[in-house]
Amino acid sequence: MGEESDAGGAGETAEESGTERPSLANQRGVESVYQPAEDSDLLARTARERVEAGDTVLDVGTGSGYVAATLADAGARAVGVDVSPLACQEAAENGVPVVRGDLVEPFRTDAFDLVAFNPPYLPTPPEQEWDDWMEHALSGGDDGRRLVDPFLETVERVLAPSGEALMLVSSLTNPEAVRAYAAEHGLASEQLASEKHPYEALVVLRFYRE
Amino acid sequence: MKEDLMEIICCPLDKHDLDLEVTERDDDEILAGELVCTECSETFPIEDGIPNLLPPDMRDEAPA
Repeated sequence: MGEESDAGGAGETAEESGTERPSLANQRGVESVYQPAEDSDLLARTARERVEAGDTVLDVGTGSGYVAATLADAGARAVGVDVSPLACQEAAENGVPVVRGDLVEPFRTDAFDLVAFNPPYLPTPPEQEWDDWMEHALSGGDDGRRLVDPFLETVERVLAPSGEALMLVSSLTNPEAVRAYAAEHGLASEQLASEKHPYEALVVLRFYRE
Repeated sequence: MKEDLMEIICCPLDKHDLDLEVTERDDDEILAGELVCTECSETFPIEDGIPNLLPPDMRDEAPA
């Protein structure tokens, strides 16, 4: 949605994904922490409908803290985690309790009613990658699943008995393959939301114990 | 970080409980200190109020 009220480069990602397949190179130098765009917004709106006041929720790869802040507004106890120190600082400045960590590794078993994840999902050939925190926030590696697969391998441990994980993926990342991989790891799934954009569809998948 | 975060975090390596050692506090906000695993004794820093629970081998794996 481009976050029109946001200052600075928040709209850049939205504009670029709306006109051509997003190019990592075009983002270079714009920001070093991923700013909320259509994908974060779709995930935040979808997750917000599912949380109840008092739920404990985790926003993985929280970036600026947008999804966590949205869920906190809905009355949830929301915590963010990000591998990037710059993202952690920004999320903290936005009032989000944040932990620097690798996916769900630093969290207790059964801790969360809901875990939301807007992963880096753009398939990116190695020669197009560069080595900084924004690249880390955007690039999903060769198949777009650099962090998608490890997340699906580990998220079940931190879900409460009736907990669920919501993940945003793009049609560029092959949602059916993502769901098949989750099934191999004991997670059933369904599609909760989908939004068409010029070169991709954004999809929110829900994962839960079978 | 606030102390109630202790209810949901654990050692990223072996998932055991962490002990909180506070060195600087501002009201209920813990600004600096350490989190120490009660099982493996690995130590994780709290810097600028943010606990760094990356495994030690990922701490320095920083993009430029």
